[in-house]
Amino acid sequence: MSDALSQPTESNTSLHAHDAPLLQLAGVTKRFGGLAAVNDLSFSLQKGEILGVIGPNGAGKSTMVNLIGGSMAPNSGAIFYQGHDINRLPPNRRARLGIARTFQITQPFAGLNVRENVMVGAFFGQRGLDRARALHVADEVLERVNLAHKATFKGDQLTIADRKRLEMARALATSPQLLLLDEVMSGLTATEVAQAVELIRQINKTGVTVLVIEHIVRAIAKVSDRILVLHHGRKIAEDTPSQVLSDPRVIEAYLGERYAKKRMQDEVSLYSLTVEDVEQHREEE
Amino acid sequence: MSSHTKAQTPSTTETLPPGPKESREWLWSLIVGLLILGLVATVPVFGDASALHTWTLILMFVVLAQSWNFIGGFTGYSSFGNVAFFGIGAYTTGLMLLGNQPFWLGLIAGAFVAALFAFLLGLPVLRLRGHYFAIATLGTAVALGEFVTVRDVGGGGGGLMSLPLAGLQAYTGFFYAFLGLSLLCLLITVFLTRSRFGYALIAIRESEQAAEALGVPTHWYKVGAFVLSAIPTALAGGLYAYWATGFDPPTVFDVGISVEMVLLTILGGSGTILGPILGAIAFEYASAQLQTSGFTWHNTVLGLAIVIVTIFLPQGILRLIQEFIRRPAAGTTRANRLREGARRVRRFIAANGV
Repeated sequence: MSDALSQPTESNTSLHAHDAPLLQLAGVTKRFGGLAAVNDLSFSLQKGEILGVIGPNGAGKSTMVNLIGGSMAPNSGAIFYQGHDINRLPPNRRARLGIARTFQITQPFAGLNVRENVMVGAFFGQRGLDRARALHVADEVLERVNLAHKATFKGDQLTIADRKRLEMARALATSPQLLLLDEVMSGLTATEVAQAVELIRQINKTGVTVLVIEHIVRAIAKVSDRILVLHHGRKIAEDTPSQVLSDPRVIEAYLGERYAKKRMQDEVSLYSLTVEDVEQHREEE
Repeated sequence: MSSHTKAQTPSTTETLPPGPKESREWLWSLIVGLLILGLVATVPVFGDASALHTWTLILMFVVLAQSWNFIGGFTGYSSFGNVAFFGIGAYTTGLMLLGNQPFWLGLIAGAFVAALFAFLLGLPVLRLRGHYFAIATLGTAVALGEFVTVRDVGGGGGGLMSLPLAGLQAYTGFFYAFLGLSLLCLLITVFLTRSRFGYALIAIRESEQAAEALGVPTHWYKVGAFVLSAIPTALAGGLYAYWATGFDPPTVFDVGISVEMVLLTILGGSGTILGPILGAIAFEYASAQLQTSGFTWHNTVLGLAIVIVTIFLPQGILRLIQEFIRRPAAGTTRANRLREGARRVRRFIAANGV
């Protein structure tokens, strides 16, 4: 990718805002003490794309979402959204610019029911709706994520799958241009994963650019236009799903060198692997 | 699945398919709240001077609990320094009275000064969380009391004593002023449970990070809730000043009052519409009765009551009442309802880890 070439500078950010990528990270680094959770990360995301981000545990995926969402500030590097440097904006300002996110560890508002939870997104997201319209948007979004029948449940009475749906519903209610999904499929059954994949496709069709972080390689390969692989905070690959998942470096990062060699002889790509396979393998080692 | 993009959301709501019915809980709470305040309003008619005195104080604590509920109950920031606003209200109004200003002007000035103080204090301390916020607010209230004493504000440690005496009929007026303030707080609380502002405060209480990610400017909303909490507290302080005709710093900056605000609200049901009203009336009435009965152990009994309630009903009196008036599933027999009732008590106690 041409990060270095298309990287906006101070002088041309506003001039070329319309043809700039929707999101661009330029040399972003985030350190916790001596550990660089995200290390010199650069990539860009075009409007309308679905970008998948995978990587083993501790690769820096969630930190990346926190950096883009604004709940953490990078130690160095810059993040551009629609051509503008958003590094100094707090999360609520980014949300109102159209960046929505979900949380890997779901955070329902327990004191509000499901519908009211979603209304918060509609009240304060990009549109800042009044009560009647926020109600309408909440019902519509709940319908889309298949949670309408639980609209009056309290936020903490939901199953894991429904909590993930609620996370997505709240984010959608803000009417985002960019949706950051942090492991919305983990802990779901195969059927639920298939539903989630379908939902992400539908959201994308309405013009929302999506960044999906996922452990489940197979699901993410199905839904993504491109996949970016993080390992120890660094980008080790960025390409189409089939290219990335047969990349020896990627397989090695996921499975370890010895196993990777063995699997390469079998001409198997990560495509056919599930998290369970990987974890089973880890245990064997 | 709707396929239209969200930008084309219809602007009218008439054409929408009806969603699930909205809960009418707020309406019931409002009605019950109005009924309670309506009943209390008859005290000057049927009661004697002693009852009037008792209920004026009870209503004052109702107001204090209700306004603490805005910051502590809804927003989840346990302020232990709200008495500072009470003291500021009392002192500002008292000093204005001594300066021969009209009482209403003193009240407004007190509310204004307290609001400004809450704003300036809230900016830094509302960045703190949990215990740190509690300690910072507690410290501020104590420091403010000391400041008044040491810097000789309005008589220093001796306090503001000889305030002008209000006429004898005025005592009914004070009662109704506190009642009116309580009614105002009730309406504000109902508004909070129904409005964008209130949803934001609840969201902040449940997960500040998630609220922020959904576009809530959390810091400004917290400061707003703090100011909202300060204003009725200061008005109550101003009323108290004129009513009591004299007070010293330890009285109006008494940390005990702060603790009582927290206690009464939690006792009744934190973050609810009726909780602070129920908690304040139940506790303050019991306290007044025990004190006047000449029973020397009254503080011990009250203390024990608090311990028992917090162990068995950590979600407050209101939650217990709600458990029992909740409509049973359709088609249940009376025996089943009884059994279900017993089960609920057990579940309620078990859920609270006893």
